[in-house]
Amino acid sequence: MLKIDGIVYTYYTKSIPHPYHFSLEADKGEVIGILGESGSGKSTMLDLIAGFLEPDSGSILLDGEAILPLPIERRPVTILFQQHNLFEHLSVKKNILLGISPNGKSTAETDTRISQILQEMGLSEHIDKLPSALSGGQQQRVALARALLRKKPVLLLDEPFSGLDRKTRLEMLSLVQTITQRERLHTIMVTHQTEDCELIADRVYKMKNGTLLPSNPDFLQEKA
Amino acid sequence: MIPGLGIATALLLFALLLFATLYRFSSGDTLSSIDDRILGLLRFTLYQATLSTLLSLFFGMILAWSLAHQRHFRGRSLLVALFSSSLVLPTLIVVFGLVTILGNNGWLNHLSLTLTGHSFGSWLYGLSGILIAHVYLNASFASRSLLHSFESIPVEKYRLAKSLGFSAWQRFWLVEWVAVRSTVTSSAATIFLLCFTSFAIVLILGGSPSYNTLEVAIYEAVKIDFDIAFALKLALIQLSISTLLVLLSSTLRTGLGNLKQESTSVTWKEPRYTTLLQYGIISLLAAAFVLPLLAVIADGIGADYSSILTQPLFIRSLITSLIIATVSAILTVLFALMLSDARRTFQLPERMSRTKGSKLLGLLVAFSGNLYLAVPSLIMGVGFFLLSQQFEAPLLLWAIGAVLSANVLMSLPFALSVIAPAMQKTARRYDRLSLSLGLTPLARWRYVELPYLSASIGYIFALSFALSLGDLGVIALFGSDEITTLPWYLYQLMGSYRTTDAAGVALILMLLVLGIFGGIPRFFNKRT
Repeated sequence: MLKIDGIVYTYYTKSIPHPYHFSLEADKGEVIGILGESGSGKSTMLDLIAGFLEPDSGSILLDGEAILPLPIERRPVTILFQQHNLFEHLSVKKNILLGISPNGKSTAETDTRISQILQEMGLSEHIDKLPSALSGGQQQRVALARALLRKKPVLLLDEPFSGLDRKTRLEMLSLVQTITQRERLHTIMVTHQTEDCELIADRVYKMKNGTLLPSNPDFLQEKA
Repeated sequence: MIPGLGIATALLLFALLLFATLYRFSSGDTLSSIDDRILGLLRFTLYQATLSTLLSLFFGMILAWSLAHQRHFRGRSLLVALFSSSLVLPTLIVVFGLVTILGNNGWLNHLSLTLTGHSFGSWLYGLSGILIAHVYLNASFASRSLLHSFESIPVEKYRLAKSLGFSAWQRFWLVEWVAVRSTVTSSAATIFLLCFTSFAIVLILGGSPSYNTLEVAIYEAVKIDFDIAFALKLALIQLSISTLLVLLSSTLRTGLGNLKQESTSVTWKEPRYTTLLQYGIISLLAAAFVLPLLAVIADGIGADYSSILTQPLFIRSLITSLIIATVSAILTVLFALMLSDARRTFQLPERMSRTKGSKLLGLLVAFSGNLYLAVPSLIMGVGFFLLSQQFEAPLLLWAIGAVLSANVLMSLPFALSVIAPAMQKTARRYDRLSLSLGLTPLARWRYVELPYLSASIGYIFALSFALSLGDLGVIALFGSDEITTLPWYLYQLMGSYRTTDAAGVALILMLLVLGIFGGIPRFFNKRT
């Protein structure tokens, strides 16, 4: 169980405070959808979980263990950003390798793992290509493949599929859902598209003025 | 730990140490004892710097305007590259070329004598020569920054202006001036500071004490009159004024502008008379720029290289210059990388920009990289000279320390203007990804930073190497038969009227500087 409890974070613009408040829980194999308009604080929330920002107060527990004291690289979290998920000058293989070998050195074992995951994702023939030679969907698939190999229990999605065409986006969402259930991940997906949540979210929260509102019963009812 | 902050602190402490040394050795009554002589020096220094700045900006502006609107003639990129090389052209080479054309026995006088029977006489030495040399170097520098500003104007603005039927003048005033004026002020600040602290040009072309600047007066006080007290008085005045100018100009400037950027093209079909005017400006200024360089080549070709290349002093100068330039370039690259990293750390929200005091620390780092503008190399040399009197160590070591420090500080502002934006860009793009993947610092450097920065690193290495190779600043104070560099050797040859040898050495120095400035970046680009 991922438990985000009473996180408070204050952002200042010209000395004017903008407080954010978050609390939520996510079970294993569950996709949590966070809906909200641009600037509502959705991404800030993911940054706090991933460790890019430090909260003023509150706690984040994964199976009872606090993750806030951990540095970014040691948090049990993988994040997919809206853009720049891949190093554009490195091959697909190197991009994935850097996710599982922080010093960039490959071994027979890492090579095998990379080949296997690319095969699973249907990307085997692209292993030596640069990201620019891939479509937007394929690029995000590579990023997702890397996320899978990292074997981190929390998957954060910061609108990584928003730039894709609808068909590819739906395919990617479906893939996320499958992976979340199979790997028993805690997936938190922020989006401004209700359709994304309708399709794969088990629970939905709304972010408004920096406050995470509890899941909308009507929405769940509609989905049910 | 932020190594760049350590470097910045060390540089600032170094400047403070120099200032304290100068102050301790001076009688302490600097400001109360400013006499007419000093006032005269100050007045002329400010006067020539102001005139040089205005003229450089005028010529730089019309050249940039013409080049921005004439983008499709043969040799344009070569011409722009040549103008850019003015940044590293040794002042001595420029002076040599100008003397060959405009001097007493120069091409112009010969031509005039042949055609009209009259000579223009000796008019190069004095204010006119100083202005010509300053404008030669700084107008091309300004034109480069301004050209980039012209080329950064969004095409949509030109389309709008075209659809409203703007004339060339309206287009300039209503569209272009608005976009380039910030570059004009920042270039003006930089050029003024460079001319205010100009040394070699004034030393050679000044001609008489009435055309001395503070910097040359300091040199003469130390080297000719042995009047250390007077030199210190001038040094402190110079240091105070240039520090004040740097602080004042920091409100105008955003650095030296980006020296190495891509650009967008202007699409506007010019009326015939405007095209003619623009081609006229480009041809005239290109000729004015190229002629002195051609003069150096033409003069140099006739030199006796079998004699020059076997002179022990030449060989020693060349080796010393190459060693000093290599070490200076390596140090400049390292310092620039560390300072730029510290700057982005204090500027980027993903890093420490939200931490208390980060703004102040960021300013401190930025100021330390621009110290050269506040502490000119000659002042630095005087500081080292005094320190050498105080601490027992061979003069050679002090001289090398002084030359290296001056070279590194001189190159840093230019190096930072290239590398800092590139490092900011990689950080903005890949910081979060690299952090989330937990890359080790070495892997991050090797796989993320280096591929993006190697071209810029090559450029600043070449820039710093070329600047160091051609500088005649601190070495003028320490130069002797024991410690000599190629520019110092050339200056000695010019001073002793060994003009044929001087022409040969000038050509070698020019080819070395231009070859390195043009060649090294290509090598790095190939490796990218």
